This record gives sequence, C-alpha cells and structure tokens, in this order.
Amino acid sequence: MRDSLSRIWSVSSKELLDIIRDWRTLVALVLVPLLIFPLFFIALPLFLQGEMAELDQYELNLEVQLSTGDTMPDSLIQPFENSNLNYSVTVLDSGLENLSVNGGDGERIRNGQPHVILRLRETMTNSSESWDYAILYDATSELSSEGYYRVRSIIQMWESEIINETLAESNLTRSEALDPIHWDGDVGEANVATSGQSAGLALSMFIPMIVAIWTASSAIQPSVDLTAGERERGTMESLLCTPTRRVELLYGKWVAVGVVAATSVLFQMVGLLFAVAFLMPPDTFGIPSLTAWSVVSLLLSVILFAIFVVAIELALAVRAHSVKEAGTVLGPFVIAFIIPAMFAQFVNLEGIEWWWFVAPIFNVCLAMREALLDITDITHIALWLTSSLLYAVLAVTWAAKQFKREDLVESLS
Amino acid sequence: MVMTGTLLSVRDVSKNFGDVEALKSVTLDLNRGDVVGLVGGNGAGKTTLLRLLCGLYKPSVGGVVFIDEGGDEHPVHQVRSNLGVVPESTGLYARLTAWENIRYHSRLNNIPDKQAWNRTVRLARALEIEDELQRPTRGFSRGMRQKTALIRALAHDPEVLLLDEPTGGLDVTSARRVRELVRKLGEEGRTVIYSTHQLNEAEQVCDRIVIIHNGTLRADGSPDELMNNTNTKSLEDAFVSLTQDDSREVDAPEPESKFQQLWSKLTTRKQPPTGGEDNA
Repeated sequence: MRDSLSRIWSVSSKELLDIIRDWRTLVALVLVPLLIFPLFFIALPLFLQGEMAELDQYELNLEVQLSTGDTMPDSLIQPFENSNLNYSVTVLDSGLENLSVNGGDGERIRNGQPHVILRLRETMTNSSESWDYAILYDATSELSSEGYYRVRSIIQMWESEIINETLAESNLTRSEALDPIHWDGDVGEANVATSGQSAGLALSMFIPMIVAIWTASSAIQPSVDLTAGERERGTMESLLCTPTRRVELLYGKWVAVGVVAATSVLFQMVGLLFAVAFLMPPDTFGIPSLTAWSVVSLLLSVILFAIFVVAIELALAVRAHSVKEAGTVLGPFVIAFIIPAMFAQFVNLEGIEWWWFVAPIFNVCLAMREALLDITDITHIALWLTSSLLYAVLAVTWAAKQFKREDLVESLS
Repeated sequence: MVMTGTLLSVRDVSKNFGDVEALKSVTLDLNRGDVVGLVGGNGAGKTTLLRLLCGLYKPSVGGVVFIDEGGDEHPVHQVRSNLGVVPESTGLYARLTAWENIRYHSRLNNIPDKQAWNRTVRLARALEIEDELQRPTRGFSRGMRQKTALIRALAHDPEVLLLDEPTGGLDVTSARRVRELVRKLGEEGRTVIYSTHQLNEAEQVCDRIVIIHNGTLRADGSPDELMNNTNTKSLEDAFVSLTQDDSREVDAPEPESKFQQLWSKLTTRKQPPTGGEDNA
C-alpha cells in the first residue's frame, strides 16, 4: 500500500513538474482564467463606449417628408442640428396607405441616400398638437440604424414636450396624470432579501455553469498531454515497463490533471469575484452570504464533478494514439458538458422534480445553485451526493479499464 | 557469486493482433548471465517478443515467466523491478533534466534518490555524460538520449536488461561506448537481451544469437554454432540461409473496430492502374 501510494505520488509530482515547466500551459491554465473576467469587465465597457462615440461622430442625412401645407415643427430643428443630422424637407406622397409603407423610398435608404426618412403628418385631436409619424430605415445598416435611434430619441423628447403642454392647459402635472399610483419610498428597501442573499441569487445564475464548463475544458489539455501525448512521444512504453501498475498510473495522472483543473477553476473564480467586487458598477452584485454547510456543499459538488470529468477525459484521451486524435475526440466532447450546464441555469428550483438531482451534470449544477442560494434540502443533497459519487466511481472504473489496454504502448509515430 | 540457470522462460508463445500472427509458437529459455542478441529483419517480431518479455503484451497462447533464485516462477509483469528496459524511442521527458528522468523511474522502482544518484553518476561517468545530467533532455543528441535511457534502465540495478535497437541512429563512437557497456554488464553476470538487425553488432556484443523471422524462431545458438549448422562462413550468410523465405514488413498492427474497418474501406482510394500491357 505504501509503495503504491509512493508511486502514485511520484507520477503526480513528476507530471506537475512537467506541466509547471511549460510556460504555455501555465498561461493557458492559470493566467488566462485569472485575467479573463477582469479584462472582460474592463475592456467590454471601454470598447462599447468607444464604438458608440465613433458612431456619434458621423453626420447623417435625414429626409423629412411633410404633407402639403404642413411646416417643419420648430421643436425638431435645433435637436436635429445638435445631433449631427443634415436634414432636408420634401413633400410626402399623399397616396400612401399609411406612413410606414416605404414604396420607392426603401431602395433609396438601402443605397444610403438618405440614411433615414422621417414622415410627418399633422392630425387633428384634442391635444395641443398631434402628428402621425414613421421613420424609414435599414436595420442592417449601422449608419441607418444610428440615424433611426437619433430621430426616435428626438421624437420622444418632442412628444414629451407636447404632453407636458397639453397637461399644463388642463392644470395637471405629469406626475398627476401619468403616475397617479406611485411607490412611496425606496423600492430596494422594501425587498426583505439581504444583499448577501441577492448576491447569491445573481451568482447562482452563472457560477455553476462557469464552473462546470471550465472544469471540463481546463482538464482537456493536461489530459491529452499526459496520455495521448505520452503515447505520441514514446514515453508511455518506458513508463509501462516500470513496476507501476496501470491503475496507479491512472491515479497519479488523475491527481495531476485534477490539481491543474482545480487551480484553473479557482483562479477563474478569483478573477470573477474580483471583477464583480471592484470592476462592476456599485450595487450590481454583492458578496454572497454563505453558511459553512453551503461552502462545504459547493466544494464537494465541484470535487465530485472534477473526479468524474477528469476520469472520463483521461479515459477518452488514453484511447487516442496521438495528440491530434485525442483533441478531435475531446474538443466536441465539451459540448456534452456545456449544454446541460446551460440548461441547468433555467430549471425552476421551486417544486423541482427529484430526478433533476440524479441527472449527470445537472445534479452538480443544481447542487451549486442551491448552495449559493443557501438552500439546505436533505433529500436533494442525498440524491446529488449519491449520484455524483456513483458517476465518479463509474468514470474511474471505465478509465482504469482503458488504462489496461494492451495497445497503450503503441503510437502512430 | 554469479548465479546460473534459467531466468526468463518463453513457453510456446504465440501472439496475435487481430488476424495477424506476430509470433508463432516461440519457446526460449534465457539464462542468468546470457547476453542474447535478438536478430531479425523489420517486422520479424523482435519488438513483440521484447514487449512480451517485459510483460507489456499478454501472450495469446503460452506464457512468459520469470524464475527467481529460489526456482519460483512469477508472471513477468509482477516482477518488473527486475527488468531494465530501453525501448527504441528512448522515452525521455524533454522538459525534465537527464537526472530527473532517471530519478523518476528510480522512484517508481522504489529506489531512494541518494542510491539512484550514486549509481547514476557512476554509469554517467562510464558513458561520458556526467556533465549533462542536470541539463533538460530537450537539446540532447540521439546518442545522449540513448545513453540517458540506458542509465535510467540500469539505475535500479535490474537483473535483466532489455535493449531495443540501442545503437540505432548513434554515431560510431557513441555506438561503441554502448556496446562496451553492454559487454561489461555481461561480464559482470547480468542478463542482457539485445534486439538489433545489425548482425556484426550482435556478433561483437552477444555470446548467443536468437534469429526471429516472420514471427518464428529460426535459430538459437552461439555465432559459431549458427555458422556450423548452416555451413556458412559468416553470420550474415548464416542469417540469409536461415531466413530465405519471403520476409514480411509487418509491425504489430492493432486491431481495428468494425466501424474503423468499414470507414477505412470507404475512405481509402483504390490504386489507379499503373500502365503496362493490361491497360493497352
């Protein structure tokens, strides 16, 4: 037993040393997971702001079509000029069934001349002023869509002014007319959930999915390298000539891949929580309040899931004769984890059927969701714990069988 | 005291890979202190026999046993700490130093690091790579890799050394160093099984030659015995005389699944006709 443990440790420590010596692996499995969310949370808003600012700079051509006899409303002239809209006024075709029928104007917009058309027709109502309108634009053109949003925004401000004027004529304020039943006080204050619970709910909507997907994907590269890679490089044969039993080899490699995958997931979680705490706007997320049992439950579900995933990936990879072959098998295999992990985010926990906690992948994702929500349901815990253990044992048994294959000494090279 | 008697016994062993019979009814006793040259052409079955000897393959028929000094027999895969193996590919980890590669296998053989280090230094000195022990093997020449693999196979002081083409790709000086070491190991009473297709090399190093051809054992004896039995004047002539039937170019193929067989059939283009009278 002691010799066996010593050999397992020798295999694991050698594999970890080999992995640490490869800077590319370290970048892929440590640095990228650590930085991906902070960079995403910093870079994405900056990028979006930059793109919006770029679109704002464009001067766009607007054609305003008015019915014969109507004049351009004064309220629109200044806003159009302030919004970089070069407008020209033409006469509206009186034969249109309604203002949205684009007729021959559609082709002109598709050609970018003009970018957008505003059709206006004054109507008679009891309001101080009343108009029908339509904005013709091409949703597939960035400039035309930008023109649409600018014109729409100006129209909405104009409408707001007209409403205010109409209400004023009747001695009413906007609040009295449009908000006769209103919330007293702060909406957030009325929510009895603590900020920690709210944070748990928010994080439970994506953390289980990220953990499941990243565990599966981060284990691929080391699994392939330590099995098919060894076969391809010819190191497997000399390794199998030592007194190490095949199952010891599997356990040794499993520990190494498990450590790498766990480190990778841990670093990604650290990066995510850092981004949530420091890079997102205040009050978006808080720090979830978890009991000791929730933390234990969370860790246990991840560990059992990792045993299951790593064993399956090692078993699949060791069947391959080359890194390329293993990559071809394991690449699409991650989809088998992504899809259930995504679906598990949308399963209603209220009145949930028991079998969800037995279904592979769903069970750990739902266990993580319940842990983050601080839900302690003994039946659910017993179900996911037993089923996860069973899947882990089955996966390891299958992996051990694959490691006993006689053709393990052979490689394509 | 040098022990004598059978150390490894191959008993009527056949090995099949799917439909291919890689070895057919091979019987062979390897004695303590023998330096045996396993000679044969490409695809003769040498590597298959070596893998059977180290327990990597299970015989389809027959058995391979290790006989300890007390006469007890053990399946060979259970006594691997008595074996030192240098496969053809050497199998070194490029990101580890030569010493780390050797230490890894020594640890798997339950040898303390200090003991392994002392032995490694002694062997490295003999093979003139003492200064390279702390260097990653990534930049090693073929010769240095072969020598490192040899030290790795010997660091746990095994009773049997199995070498698969140990001088393949080596320069003249390195090949000579390896041969000298093997001879010295034989003189010390260690059993060495030396697979090669170089007849002159086998003649220089080994006191017993086993000729394998098309998966069958064609001859077993000293170089002189082989020449006398075939009435030839050189080992090369003896070899040709013993292997005159068609040779095959088959390495142990792995069995394909039914699906793989069907897919290979569907995706393998038939050879176009290659001219000649038939196409006229």
